Amino acid sequence: MKTIGLISANYQGNRFGELTENRTLASLPYGGRYRLIDFALSNMSNSGITTVGIIAPYNSGSLIDHIGIGNPWSLGRKNGGLFLMPGTVYGVQAEGTRFLLRDMLVNQDFFRKDDADYVIVTASSDVYNMDFKPLIKYHEANGKPLTMVYTKVPKGEKNVGFFMDIDEEGTVTSIKKDGKGWSNYFMDCFIIDKKFMLDFLQWFKALEHMDLFEIVMNNMDFMEIGAFEFRGYLGKINTAKDLLKVNQDMCDYGVRNEVFCNPDRTIYTKTQDEAPAFFTTGSDVRNSIISAGCRIEGKVENSIIFRSVNIGKGSVIRNSVIMMHCDIGENVVLENVIADKYVRINNGVKIYGGDEDTPIIIGKNETI
Amino acid sequence: MKKKKCIAMLLAGGQGTRLGKLTSSIAKPAVSFGGKYRIIDFGLSNCVNSGIDTVGILIQYKPLILNRYVGTGESWDLAVADGGVHILPPYAGETGGEWYEGTADAIFHNIDFIDMYDPENVLILSGDHIYKMDYNKMLEAHESREADLTVSVIEVPMEEASRFGIMTADKEGRITKFSEKPKNPDSNLASMGIYIFSWKALRKALLEDHEKEGSSHDFGNDIIPKMLGEGKDIFVYRFEGYWRDVGTVQSYYDSQMDLMDNVENINVFTKDSRVFSNSNIYPPQYLGPNANISNSMICNGCTVYGEVTHSILGSGVVVGEGTVVEDSIILPNAVIGRNCHITNAIVNEGVTVDDRTEIGTADGDIEVYGKARLSI
Repeated sequence: MKTIGLISANYQGNRFGELTENRTLASLPYGGRYRLIDFALSNMSNSGITTVGIIAPYNSGSLIDHIGIGNPWSLGRKNGGLFLMPGTVYGVQAEGTRFLLRDMLVNQDFFRKDDADYVIVTASSDVYNMDFKPLIKYHEANGKPLTMVYTKVPKGEKNVGFFMDIDEEGTVTSIKKDGKGWSNYFMDCFIIDKKFMLDFLQWFKALEHMDLFEIVMNNMDFMEIGAFEFRGYLGKINTAKDLLKVNQDMCDYGVRNEVFCNPDRTIYTKTQDEAPAFFTTGSDVRNSIISAGCRIEGKVENSIIFRSVNIGKGSVIRNSVIMMHCDIGENVVLENVIADKYVRINNGVKIYGGDEDTPIIIGKNETI
Repeated sequence: MKKKKCIAMLLAGGQGTRLGKLTSSIAKPAVSFGGKYRIIDFGLSNCVNSGIDTVGILIQYKPLILNRYVGTGESWDLAVADGGVHILPPYAGETGGEWYEGTADAIFHNIDFIDMYDPENVLILSGDHIYKMDYNKMLEAHESREADLTVSVIEVPMEEASRFGIMTADKEGRITKFSEKPKNPDSNLASMGIYIFSWKALRKALLEDHEKEGSSHDFGNDIIPKMLGEGKDIFVYRFEGYWRDVGTVQSYYDSQMDLMDNVENINVFTKDSRVFSNSNIYPPQYLGPNANISNSMICNGCTVYGEVTHSILGSGVVVGEGTVVEDSIILPNAVIGRNCHITNAIVNEGVTVDDRTEIGTADGDIEVYGKARLSI
């Protein structure tokens, strides 16, 4: 049965300060060389999905720049390929919303014109590497028009999003928003019968300002929903603290092997073709991720250094995320800092972010 | 089709036998270089940086990796509508097929290809040289003199001149004599194997040389002496800068170390006349809690737990805990176990090195370890 993909990027996070002032959450730089949307796109591509729509917000300049015509994900195609679709302005104003009904309504031609049976819909800002093929198989065999993908989170963990109750047969019995103490966490990923999706849009047209799952949540009586568990790593980025943490997770052997070094499911991104990183005598790098084009003369610990970053002599970078093209002078100390692109730190400047829970964010192009 | 002012023909069919194990399964131009590059990147990048958008790549020896690597040419901005890269292997015709017998023979067999573009000039390049050069300047010199052939030359120390093809030129740069590896050289202008021919003159010379009994169909041995004999207008173009023919393991090693040690000579870190490559998608490198890196170049996809000093690690290399790598070049995707000691060595592409292996000695020749294991 044919499946197409839809990625929702028409939402914003408001807890990243300047990082998301002029860019979508989907195009937030992550992990040295990636943008967050790379995971959604790669998961689609690696699962054999060759038609993918992206609902993009009005401020998607950096997103469009990054994905182009989709070549890195093998989506620059004649048959199918990548479809960039404008989302409504409403989307970025409603924080927390992932699947605004209005966005799907205005773009329903994307569903109509394709002869696919199923649509896999995901958000665009989560870090995970998942093969959707078993999900499609399960959905097909299960026969329910909608299957939600969830992962178990420790009970009591505070989380933003939807949680589900699932009975013994694997049917979703109730859905709750921001549910404290619940453990089946909906990871903003589902598969839906295309025909059901189109019907759904017509039934609830009047509620177009709502999120698809807010509607589902309140109409459980006549919804038949299946559940599919994802047992891998999920990096959920809702706050600056999460951003630092999920970046640092890349240093974890298990996460790196599962998400980034899986030979069957490469995470693709736009290549910039930088020179290899160069380390001078006297550099000292421990438990860190370093990207191409860097010149490292100082000390780096538990940090993620993006492409083409210079770190001067005598400088110490600790527990930090330094995005591409930053220029860090000599004898600088940065601790618990997230620096956006093109930040310049002059010699001798010392910045200590509060702690790991409250990293300091330095905006794009700033000089300190 | 637009008429082209100049197209490039890049000779990439040679085996490079003196590189031994390095070229036992890969054509020399496709051999890994400087961590993430392959040797051919320098020639291709020079082309695109010089505004040449049509390149024929002549292949013959073990071209698998080369073909895959070059692909559509997109990585060098050479996937263009009317032009781009063309892989040109030997092919069969009505009367059977033939291998390329020499450098000129390879071009002879592709006369139809060049005619398709009907260029005014043809630039002949070797796919195995390390240098940055603006071919445009050479083309300007060639055109302003209305030359039939312009040969790019570089000054070499007089005592080394007998290792090269030496051009003797008058004050105006007109070549009066060409001697291949002369015992008693009378000039120190060495040919770099880079030629710009007017297509009309080259086409005629190739057709005539093809008919000639006993010709080795080589540019240096046959075409240039023949054109000199006919009194054609042949000039030198003096190139000043860094240029290396990576013919031997030692020169292959030295010129890679130059990327780190002599950045002022050949700079891959700068955005000026950038060296492009077809880099696979690797995650950024991870350096472990006890990693110790100094004076080294390390590529994407590497995982390093050990100690790396004055070395180059290619893409996707793993260096295990307790291992020491010094003054060495580890080619892409080699996996080095724990507690190894590697010094003064080149570890071949994709090779697995078992724990506690010792490779190379501090004062010996450069050791090439393992047979390349090709993978995508």
